Amino acid sequence: MPAEEQSASAPQQTSGGHQPMRRAVVVGGNRIPFARTGGAYTKSSNQDMLTAALDGLIARFGLQDERIGEVAAGAVLKHSRDFNLTREAVLGSALSAETPAYDLQQACATGLETVLGLANKIKLGQIDSAIAGGVDSASDAPIAVSEGLREILLDLNRSKTLPERLKVLARLRPKDLAPDAPNTGEPRTGLSMGEHQALTTAQWEIAREAQDELAYNSHHNLAAAYERGFFDDLITPYRGLNRDSNLRPDTSMEKLASLKPVFGKGLGTEATMTAGNSTPLTDGASTVLLGTEEWADARRLPKLAVVVDGEAAAVDFVHGKDGLLMAPVFATPRLLERNGLSFEDIDFFEIHEAFAGTVLSTLAAWEDDEFCRTRLGLGGALGKIDRAKLNVNGSSLAAGHPFAATGGRIVASLAKLLHDRGPVDGRPARGLISICAAGGQGVVAILEAYTAPEGR
Amino acid sequence: MSPEPALILDELPSLSKLYVNAAATAARRRLLGTQGLNSLPPGRHEVHGVRADVGNLTAYQHLIGESASDAMPAGFIHALAFPVAMSVLNRDDFPLPLLGMIHLGNRVEQMRAIQFSELLDIRSWAEDMRGHRAGTQVDIVAEVRASDDGTLVWRGVSNYLAKGVYLPGINKPGTGSAAWEFTPPAPTAEWQLGVDTGRSYATVSGDYNPIHLSMLSAKALGLRRSIAHGMYLASRALADVGSVKSEAFRWDVSFEAPVFLPARVALEIATVQSAAGGWQRSDYVAWNPRSGRKHFSGSVTGL
Repeated sequence: MPAEEQSASAPQQTSGGHQPMRRAVVVGGNRIPFARTGGAYTKSSNQDMLTAALDGLIARFGLQDERIGEVAAGAVLKHSRDFNLTREAVLGSALSAETPAYDLQQACATGLETVLGLANKIKLGQIDSAIAGGVDSASDAPIAVSEGLREILLDLNRSKTLPERLKVLARLRPKDLAPDAPNTGEPRTGLSMGEHQALTTAQWEIAREAQDELAYNSHHNLAAAYERGFFDDLITPYRGLNRDSNLRPDTSMEKLASLKPVFGKGLGTEATMTAGNSTPLTDGASTVLLGTEEWADARRLPKLAVVVDGEAAAVDFVHGKDGLLMAPVFATPRLLERNGLSFEDIDFFEIHEAFAGTVLSTLAAWEDDEFCRTRLGLGGALGKIDRAKLNVNGSSLAAGHPFAATGGRIVASLAKLLHDRGPVDGRPARGLISICAAGGQGVVAILEAYTAPEGR
Repeated sequence: MSPEPALILDELPSLSKLYVNAAATAARRRLLGTQGLNSLPPGRHEVHGVRADVGNLTAYQHLIGESASDAMPAGFIHALAFPVAMSVLNRDDFPLPLLGMIHLGNRVEQMRAIQFSELLDIRSWAEDMRGHRAGTQVDIVAEVRASDDGTLVWRGVSNYLAKGVYLPGINKPGTGSAAWEFTPPAPTAEWQLGVDTGRSYATVSGDYNPIHLSMLSAKALGLRRSIAHGMYLASRALADVGSVKSEAFRWDVSFEAPVFLPARVALEIATVQSAAGGWQRSDYVAWNPRSGRKHFSGSVTGL
């Protein structure tokens, strides 16, 4: 069998055709346990948590004083003072102070996009090592002054004389003193993310029991992964937490069935989305260490997986054409086609569980012949995913979802999973990551178990 | 070596009660005169099984500019041990008045990173009472050990001056060396310290010494304005040195002119590298950018 059919990540010719493109390898990852909002990390800032996750990674892989090629991370709920959040975390960490860093923001896809962007830089030969990451705190969320007060304060700063200042201050009304807190509503529709998903869940007729079952599996798979020590080299305890605080190992279908619906109550159809099959607000941070094969070898570091490729998509959710969280449905077939792959070639599917309904609507769309023909431009249904390959170590419904930290959690866990799995039918094990994001966006990626190139 | 015998306290003493008691002792001594004590009390005070409050740790870390990691800053351990040290200074048979004592300097050795979740045993005693050209000085030693195996993890020696107190039998040293002429270097940082700096540090450290709290309370003790806690300044300098330092390190500070609040403080941190190119030591010095007077200086050295 020719090499390029064996592995989607085998060194490829660049468009210039001069030299084979380098591979971007996932060395490992580290995160802090995720905490439900208002819990163990209530007083910890984004910078604290990102630094803690980073320092755990540095300790695990012996990166003290190391100058890393570049560090990229981000947060979705971000204070304006944190404009250089990632660089500040680097300066507070044990990495060399000469490590450059940048912030990135693509809503819940932030973490995965940092991995893809840095992997591309590695493949292009711009850097040899990188740390990708993400962090979010719903507890320590920024609160801004109202728009009215903000304008008054700015005008006050511009006014020069006392009468001018008094005139500006006279504009102040009691309502201006109410603070402006962030919310999860889409700016263009006014609907919360949950209400948007409720529309999609109803559109695809996803049953309540199917959603509860996905949540049940998420908790039990995550608990089992903890029990067999899967996360021992992926997590560093923080602020007294050793495990994700949202995890309910003892949850049952009966318990999940007893919860009252919280979204989609005014749609005319049965409301099916509960606090049990929706992800709670969470605090946490994650990091992923990337490098070239040579960089990892020189430091005797593991090479778990290869970042093969990624794809972003966006949907027109504003006027109801597609559901807010359905962009990965469009990104995935494009990514598979570019890499000459089908669902049959994927051994693990990591579909971020923003809501159980999101995952199930996504699967339903891929199984729908007409949708795949008319909307995805395919010959027929993309295919059915073997549920035994889906989120095998649990996902966001159980672990929680600190928005920008979810990508790093999934990449590090999947890389380890692929490494543990090794070859499948003579080719490296493969995994697909799918993450939906606010604004109707989605980012998907393919990872592959690392195998040494021939002749090495 | 710590002196015997040990007085085991049930829990960390309340600092506010200690300050009230110190004020009462000061008043009593003023009325009745000192009882002619000229030696340090024997023995040491101990508290076993102390665990830090994580909320307080986070507030402390944020105030001094450290990232809220699970490892406790060396200055936070000083604050954790401070009530035990204060209980020694506050004994009826302690010869020097607690209130109005001046913190001259501090030497800390931290043997390893100490996690907030660890149970710690703290002991403290006074030693080496000796003359000073301006009064009498004494060292208060605090040692922190891991409760489970008794290993020493942190040791601090605080050097205090009881200004204008001369005890019989304690000799004044010679006139002593005059302070070196200080020429401020180019600053690497500048701190803006608000008038509430002392109150904020009192909240996270528990050190409610009135000289730090407000102009009025400071005036009552003979100062023109409130002054920043020495350990706040030194802890911020330690935070500014940053994560370059090794897990085991020595941290020294010598205090000179007090920082009257509010204040601007100029600071220089210089790194000394080993022959191999790694971090060996960071030296810091802070001064008043207007007058050029030195506030404090010290160093952080790898162990």
